[in-house]
Amino acid sequence: MTSGGIRILLVDDESSIRRALRPPLMELGFQVTEASRGEEALQILRGATFDIVLLDINMPGIGGIATLGRIRAGLPRLPVIILSVRDGEEEKVEALEIGADDYVTKPFSTRELIARIRSAVRRAQEPKPKEDTPLTIGEIHLNPVRRSVTKAGQAVHLTRKEYEILFFLMTHAGRVVTYRKLLTAVWGGEYRDEIDYLRTFVRQLRKKIEDDPSNPIYLLTDAYVGYRFTDDPTVVPPPSAEED
Amino acid sequence: MDIQQSDRNLENIFPSLWKPHLLAQRMLAWLERKLLVPMPQLIPVFDHTPFAPGMLAPFLMFQVPLNERAGDEASGGGTGTQGSAPTPNGIPRYHRFRSGSSLKILLFVFETLLGMLLVGLIASLVHMAGWLLPVATLLYLLIVVPTALLCGFWQAVVVSLTAVVVHSVLTVHQGGDNPVADPANAVTFIAFILTALVVSHLSSQASRHAEEAELRRDQIEDLYEFTRATLQMNLHEEPGSRLAALVKATFDADAVAIYDADLHQVYEAGEWGLDAREMAQSVFYFGRVDDNAETGISRRVLRMGNLPIGSVVLKGTTTPLTNDAIASLVAVTFDRYRAFLNESHVEAERQAEQLRTTVLDSLAHAYKTPLTAIRAASTGLEEMGSLTMAQRDLVALIDEQSGLLNELTTRLLRTARLDAEDVGLNITDVDLNGLVEEVVESVRQRQPEMQVLFRFSSDQMTLSCDRQLISSILMQYVENAGKYANMASPITVSAEQTLTETILSVHSFGPVIPIAERERIFDRFFRSSASSHLAPGTGIGLSVAKRAALQHDGHVWVTSDADEGTTFYAAIPTKEEEGVVV
Repeated sequence: MTSGGIRILLVDDESSIRRALRPPLMELGFQVTEASRGEEALQILRGATFDIVLLDINMPGIGGIATLGRIRAGLPRLPVIILSVRDGEEEKVEALEIGADDYVTKPFSTRELIARIRSAVRRAQEPKPKEDTPLTIGEIHLNPVRRSVTKAGQAVHLTRKEYEILFFLMTHAGRVVTYRKLLTAVWGGEYRDEIDYLRTFVRQLRKKIEDDPSNPIYLLTDAYVGYRFTDDPTVVPPPSAEED
Repeated sequence: MDIQQSDRNLENIFPSLWKPHLLAQRMLAWLERKLLVPMPQLIPVFDHTPFAPGMLAPFLMFQVPLNERAGDEASGGGTGTQGSAPTPNGIPRYHRFRSGSSLKILLFVFETLLGMLLVGLIASLVHMAGWLLPVATLLYLLIVVPTALLCGFWQAVVVSLTAVVVHSVLTVHQGGDNPVADPANAVTFIAFILTALVVSHLSSQASRHAEEAELRRDQIEDLYEFTRATLQMNLHEEPGSRLAALVKATFDADAVAIYDADLHQVYEAGEWGLDAREMAQSVFYFGRVDDNAETGISRRVLRMGNLPIGSVVLKGTTTPLTNDAIASLVAVTFDRYRAFLNESHVEAERQAEQLRTTVLDSLAHAYKTPLTAIRAASTGLEEMGSLTMAQRDLVALIDEQSGLLNELTTRLLRTARLDAEDVGLNITDVDLNGLVEEVVESVRQRQPEMQVLFRFSSDQMTLSCDRQLISSILMQYVENAGKYANMASPITVSAEQTLTETILSVHSFGPVIPIAERERIFDRFFRSSASSHLAPGTGIGLSVAKRAALQHDGHVWVTSDADEGTTFYAAIPTKEEEGVVV
């Protein structure tokens, strides 16, 4: 996918970061508009159309989380990538649950950021698959109508819950799905804090769909945040600046 | 046979003869039982003096009941004898006259002599007027009864006996009134003496009870005042010196010393004239509790429950029960002060923790923002292409070094957070298997080439721990293994749990850590000579792991061998009730 025409709204109160990101992004064909505060970003979004928003969390004024909430209220399908400097996972999880599409932790490399931008925009532009559309990622094939899963043509026997976890993750392939979101989708809202329960099921699921469950390539863990089903198993997950 | 042996033999044969004070004591005890009147106790200063009985007199001491204000509990003195038992209300019944109580002896003598003089005058008057014996005895009673009321029972006894003697002497030539000459007169005098004794006893007892009641009331009022003052005391400051002054003022003590064992501090009020500090400390260390009537010094150990926390020594006239109450109130005040201090300390720690968190967050932001700009700029340059080979190398160098700086910053902040977490751990039940997998995933995102094997003693293990701290141990071990292990060999991450402990370990094949360095590599800023040249590092990570384990009362260690490989361990105690969840 080329970068031509991708319109980015870069929201960060640190001008040094904006100055560092703007030249390479523009050089690669992205169109970059800058904002230094959440209020300013919301103002800009009212008057222009963008393909993606890069949003810092820790900003003066209304802050990144509140800005994201307002963006989601008006533009539910606009991809938003969170730029977070915090070590704590709580804010990332909060942002993802409010509706962020992805996050990168500072300091990040421009290459990683560009990959995330392209992935998020591509997912947003793809037509939303129908619920009964078969899904194929790598060697994993899932047929929602028959509720069957195969790996390299071999049937994989899953329990009902394992199937529902896999189905939800594959329909959100490439995106981080927080523990709570997955628990709510599969078990219901009252189970949203039973993370250990979920881990047990994911461990079993990996044994069935991964060649080496200790080194998974499909069902990846975003440490302390949630799970991500790869949208391209041939690509090694980009190195993250994850810390702590 | 030495003198003392001879002394003992004689004592066995003629105990009462050899020790006349024993005979006297027995007689007095018999009288006390019969008359219900406290009798004096005669105590020799030298118990085995090989002197003739008559020579013992100068060494005898005796105690007599007295109606004076107590405070005055009898106690062991120079001879180490026991004091008399206090009355049920805690007010001692006896005063003991010792050689040192010369003033009291003089007072006794003076009162007795005055009484004797008065009955002498009455007897002379009766003799000159030629009044009959019944009139004379009534007049004598007018002297004896006030003597018993105002001075005491024994003074009244001496005065009444004096009346009998004087009257007998003056009437020796008057057969009609002389008790010797006429048996009827003797009966009259016996009746007089008995009446005098009974009346004296009753009056002295009534007087004593009244004084005791008054004394009790005074002391209860004092205790009430003392309690009120201690409750209103400002506990922002150490209360020891104020308590000492308060005890002195409230109970009108001559001097007070309070020892606070916790602070190892003695607080004094008043003039001691001796080493009060040493005395107060010895009371605490030897648990000596007593009331010495002779010196007026009372000693008490301050206790909270069974735990001694200090001592109080008073010089004054307070009763033993009052002293007990003072000691309890002082102990309670110290305890309240400690509780108040502890509460303030916890609040101060909470505020400091809040400040630390704020500062650390600000620091994280302040350091990572420029690092982000540098890294984004350098990697951006690379993405933009059109760089020469030399320019690419320089950009790669900037990227690499900014990455190192970021790692250093992260670890320093992590260490600082660990320091801040001294206040308390956030203990929760953690899914250990999930935690291990999560940490490995986290590291793998940065080191994707890493091959990891898991080994768990159970599929589902739960550990009560601070999730973040245990993560930091594992993360450090796994990161180290990823950096230093041979690329071809996998890294094995294990978790084993027993009823008593959970052992986390990370095994890999890499450079062997010399024996001399296996403890030191857990020290901050120390880097092993075997591996420091292989990969950049800060020497902080393993010290963080060590601290995290220590915070859980656990420990860390490493084994390293060319054939067996290198294994980093962390043992965390498992509470018994948790056990292994299977």
